[in-house]
Amino acid sequence: MKLNIDGLLVCFPYDYIYPEQYSYMLELKRTLDAKGHGVLEMPSGTGKTISLLSLIVAYQKAYPLEVTKLIYCSRTVPEIEKVVEELKKLMDYYTKQTEAKNDFLALALSSRKNLCIHPEVSSLRFGKEVDGKCHSLTASYIRAQHHCNPSQPVCQFYEEFDAVGRQVLIPPGIYNLNDLKDFGRRKGWCPYFLARSSILHANIVVYSYNYLLDPKIADLVSKELAKKSVVVFDEAHNIDNVCIDSMSVNITRRTLDRCQTNVETLQNTISRIKETDAAKLQEEYRRLVEGLTEANVARETDMYLSNPVLPDEILQEAVPGSIRTAEHFVGFMKRFLEYLKARLRIHHVVQESTPQFLKDIYEKVCIDRKPLRFCAERLRSLLRTLEIADIADFSAITLISHFATLVSTYNKGFTIIIEPFEDRTPTIANPVLHFSCMDPSIAIKPVFGRFQSVIITSGTLSPLDIYPRILDFRPVTVASFTMTLARTCLCPLIVGRGNDQVAMTSKFETREDFAVIRNYGNLLLEMSAIVPDGIVAFFTSYIYMENIVASWYEQGILENIQRNKLIFIETQDAAETSMALMLNKNKISANGVRNIILIKCKRLFISFSFQPPVHHYGRAVIVFGVPYVYTQSRILKARLEYLRDQFQIRENDFLTFDAMRHAAQCVGRAIRGKTDYGLMIFADKRYARADKRGKLPRWIQEHLTDGSLNLTIDETVQLGKHFLRQMAQPFRQEDQLGLSLLTLEQLQSEDMLQKIAQIAQA
Amino acid sequence: MHHINIITMASLSEEVLLVVKRVRQRKQDGTLYLMAERIAWGPEGKDRFTVSHLYADIRCQKISPDGKAKIQLQLVLHTGESTTFHFANESTALKDRDATKELLQQLLPKFKKKANKELEEKNRMLQEDPVLFQLYKDLVVSQVISAEEFWANRLSLNSVEHSLSNNNKQEVGISAAFLADIRPQTDGCNGLRYNLTTDIIESIFRTYPTVKQKYAENVPHNMTEKEFWTRFFQSHYFHRDRINTGLQDIFSECAKEDEKGLKSMVTQGVKNPMVDLLSLEDKTLDEGYGTATVPTTSNSSNKSLRENSNSAIIKRFNHHSAMVSKAYTPLDVILTSLFVAFQVKLQEAIEYDDLQGDSGRKTISLNLKKSDRYSHGPIPLQSQHYSTSQDIINSISIIQHEMRSYKPRLTQVMSSSAASSAITALSPGGVLMQGGGQQTINQLVPTDVQSELKHLYTAAGELLRHFWSCFPVSTPFLEEKVVKMKSNLEKFQVMKLRPFQEKIQRQYLSTSLTGHLEEMLQAAYNKFQAWQMRRMMRKT
Repeated sequence: MKLNIDGLLVCFPYDYIYPEQYSYMLELKRTLDAKGHGVLEMPSGTGKTISLLSLIVAYQKAYPLEVTKLIYCSRTVPEIEKVVEELKKLMDYYTKQTEAKNDFLALALSSRKNLCIHPEVSSLRFGKEVDGKCHSLTASYIRAQHHCNPSQPVCQFYEEFDAVGRQVLIPPGIYNLNDLKDFGRRKGWCPYFLARSSILHANIVVYSYNYLLDPKIADLVSKELAKKSVVVFDEAHNIDNVCIDSMSVNITRRTLDRCQTNVETLQNTISRIKETDAAKLQEEYRRLVEGLTEANVARETDMYLSNPVLPDEILQEAVPGSIRTAEHFVGFMKRFLEYLKARLRIHHVVQESTPQFLKDIYEKVCIDRKPLRFCAERLRSLLRTLEIADIADFSAITLISHFATLVSTYNKGFTIIIEPFEDRTPTIANPVLHFSCMDPSIAIKPVFGRFQSVIITSGTLSPLDIYPRILDFRPVTVASFTMTLARTCLCPLIVGRGNDQVAMTSKFETREDFAVIRNYGNLLLEMSAIVPDGIVAFFTSYIYMENIVASWYEQGILENIQRNKLIFIETQDAAETSMALMLNKNKISANGVRNIILIKCKRLFISFSFQPPVHHYGRAVIVFGVPYVYTQSRILKARLEYLRDQFQIRENDFLTFDAMRHAAQCVGRAIRGKTDYGLMIFADKRYARADKRGKLPRWIQEHLTDGSLNLTIDETVQLGKHFLRQMAQPFRQEDQLGLSLLTLEQLQSEDMLQKIAQIAQA
Repeated sequence: MHHINIITMASLSEEVLLVVKRVRQRKQDGTLYLMAERIAWGPEGKDRFTVSHLYADIRCQKISPDGKAKIQLQLVLHTGESTTFHFANESTALKDRDATKELLQQLLPKFKKKANKELEEKNRMLQEDPVLFQLYKDLVVSQVISAEEFWANRLSLNSVEHSLSNNNKQEVGISAAFLADIRPQTDGCNGLRYNLTTDIIESIFRTYPTVKQKYAENVPHNMTEKEFWTRFFQSHYFHRDRINTGLQDIFSECAKEDEKGLKSMVTQGVKNPMVDLLSLEDKTLDEGYGTATVPTTSNSSNKSLRENSNSAIIKRFNHHSAMVSKAYTPLDVILTSLFVAFQVKLQEAIEYDDLQGDSGRKTISLNLKKSDRYSHGPIPLQSQHYSTSQDIINSISIIQHEMRSYKPRLTQVMSSSAASSAITALSPGGVLMQGGGQQTINQLVPTDVQSELKHLYTAAGELLRHFWSCFPVSTPFLEEKVVKMKSNLEKFQVMKLRPFQEKIQRQYLSTSLTGHLEEMLQAAYNKFQAWQMRRMMRKT
């Protein structure tokens, strides 16, 4: 249908629309008009992606000079492909409507592993191997050697692309990863480099967060993207952690040992080259005197390393004299390395700020701040000069140089923690230096600064005000949309007590309590008897899950659950878990039976952040306990302190916020769409408190009545039974029409528009 | 044990597999023979068998519990009869019995399949067709005709059609809780008793193929069946932590084997990209970056014993569930679903079926033969009189379907006028049935009599159909059959019709109720006599 969104003609590729989609597009349009940033929360399963795409594409078509590009960031490869697939659908609709040829170019970009078509390289299984192998075939000096010596292997796809493909623009169309590969095969061009060069003139780019947030990659891939772009971060509930991860470094003794060997290799190579080809080093020296401006000239294939947030002044300045010659630099690195080794030789925990660290290093080994800042750039130049083929080997020294640059660049927002051993095993010495970023805004700042509109959206972003605070930006629109429902298809219940009235909680003091474990088991058992399809059960941590499962086994609870459902338990081995998931998928498609219980650990689950598989199983989702992070961790403590000092966010507020967003993520999986239905069971009495409850997304909170707080297991079963029976009645489209599903005519009616205006709430 | 020299009484072509002397049957001493296709027993000193059962007829064997004074073996036949043998040789009785049991155990399954199929088929037909069932009761159970005669021209009709539907038969799955359901009972003196049924054993074998292999290797050469299962339940394999398996445990290998299987599955990788956790992340952080403390060197040596056993439990449950769910997914389904294009999956993932105009949901419906049995559980055969609304809807749709594909074979039917005139001639009041009254019976007689009459009609109709189908009598087989059918008709008249007539007389109802029936029978007799006369004439 064709919609009129605030004066903009939007083609929407479906015959019906949800009211909240309309409302979402309205808000989005306002954000784009204001050229500002936005935070939008809309429940999963209400067609967020297609609303986003429809509106932004329409906007691009209407105002091609205002918005030139859409950069859509998602988290996982399947998600990326899903987005492109929806885009295809939208574009098909456009061509059908206008009967004009599509002149849009949209493409997905992923790592080499997912795009390589070189027969040998693409058969490698791990991303790192693929990258390394690719580099050894496409680096500029390898290709130069190939010119003189044809027996040197190169990648013919890259050669072909470089010779022909660079000048020819890829024809307009929607390219998913597989389409790119097909196109590459047809032409004999490398799809990865084709995609990388094409994103500059594509109208829509879909790739993962890291290409924008991780400065090491962003510098390489996204540097030249137009300023007038709209950036969308989908599934952005974890965006702060992605930012932090991309800027944090851990150094162990093993890293240092490997770095040591790297330094030795460098030294040997330098002395060898000095004998054979001293001119080369001379040339490099000359270049360094001239400054680093040539960094831009570096060819895209030479991905030795890119600098984590290169401050602009570095690029203008010349590399300081103390590290300008190759030998001096290696000596400098050696000294730095020795210093780090000495720091790791401690017996107590040390925590210090970056200025403290710099002061200490100056006092102990006379290393100045300035050369440290140039460390990463200098190493990059050296590695290129020495023509080292396998950069994967030099990951340790690269890491150290990144650390050096980061630690000398930022005074604030970072902390250094040196731990001599792990807390769990105080007898085993395993010193680690955590260089931990505490301020997610550092990594995302360039994104907000550079692009005209940045949209942060997810199904669970509550409480909405916290994201602008921790990411340090000023949004023009902040809105949360509820799900309009013709029937209440979600049923959140908070179970606080067992049938024996013992409180159920995963509070640290009582979590190992026998009664708590038994009650948790009884809850799962009772639910397994009444829920017709699958149940997904989440635990707060892997170890806790293991313990509970073991004691359930001893008490015979698992045996009884097995009578009702098959049980799959997540293991720490991702491969094994995906195997189990796959077997299950097959079973579902083959028999239409979905009687499974998936037992998962919450933290692990989130770190994998996979969405699709769980869909099919979750008729009921049970969250055992409140998924707090491990609060004893020093890194976390430091971060909490920083948040309190810098952003005035109290520790408890942040911890609760973090726990509740994880919980909301888990239960959010229960509902796939409006025709779906699911039970959401929070099994901890603490959920009933206002401070926890209030942090759940609005669309869940709405259905949480006072009658469903602090229930016993029996009451839960009764309520659940009742709900499931009601929901199992046939549900037709007619029931939804006019309420939660609208035709074009209904949408245009006056009172409906009024109702829609109420859906969005800031 | 003796050898072939005494087998003169059996037909010589038969191979004798086992001879057991001093076996009593009905308090008579004798000898038990196990032959290739049957089991037989002859009393001492006589040269013929008084008991002989084909293996195909035997449903199962039962043995007396250990420790009982009498060592017996009972054979239960499909007909429900049973024969009990008592092994009376004091010194070797137990051994004899076990030898017999073992041999039977190997032999019976071979024959079982064949017999079962036919029986099942018959059973199914009777269950599905209440009229047929009534007929069966009227004719076979009351011994008007024999079961073979009854089935003679029915099975062939249906077997073709049924074998078609057999092709996509649904396999029975394994209950997830089958292991939990094997509840050991204490036998009072520090022991445990496990009751194993064939179903459970089958489940164990299908879930743990390695156990099946072990069974094939060891039973009966190395140990008896009982010993095998005893060891199985004693083993760590069955129990929780598999890591501590000792060497003497024959199942320790199984655990390793399973582990290997699981590993190989894992290394093969996951073909469905939507669930492959390894490839989800597009660009992982390099080693050393990130805040998450990497679980450094979490070797098994680092972990406590308890943690190890915990993860063993988790592994075991996953393995169990994987095997159970695999067991009822046919291999080809797994394979095809692996190759279902990723594109299709993506499409599925982005569908919003309620936003679409027409939401053609594709669901896989459970293919139930008898939906009422699914919802009510098994019920005795007698309660098949009613039909659910679903049945009616189904049958209507079946009829509609048949009508659509109906093609009259015009060469083989008589003209409609001829047919209708034949029917009128045979109806009460018609040319051939002059004697009968023409009142409508439904006002005159009580319903039970009506229904009885109905049954009589169908039974008589069936018999008459058999009878008339013999004409023209062209082969000696048909001749034989027609004679038999005539006697069957007479038998029917005597055993069924007469009692009914007496009954209605007692209730002071008009005997003319059965007039039509008798006329029909009379017509058949007349025909028979005419035929016989002609035959005699021809012979003389």
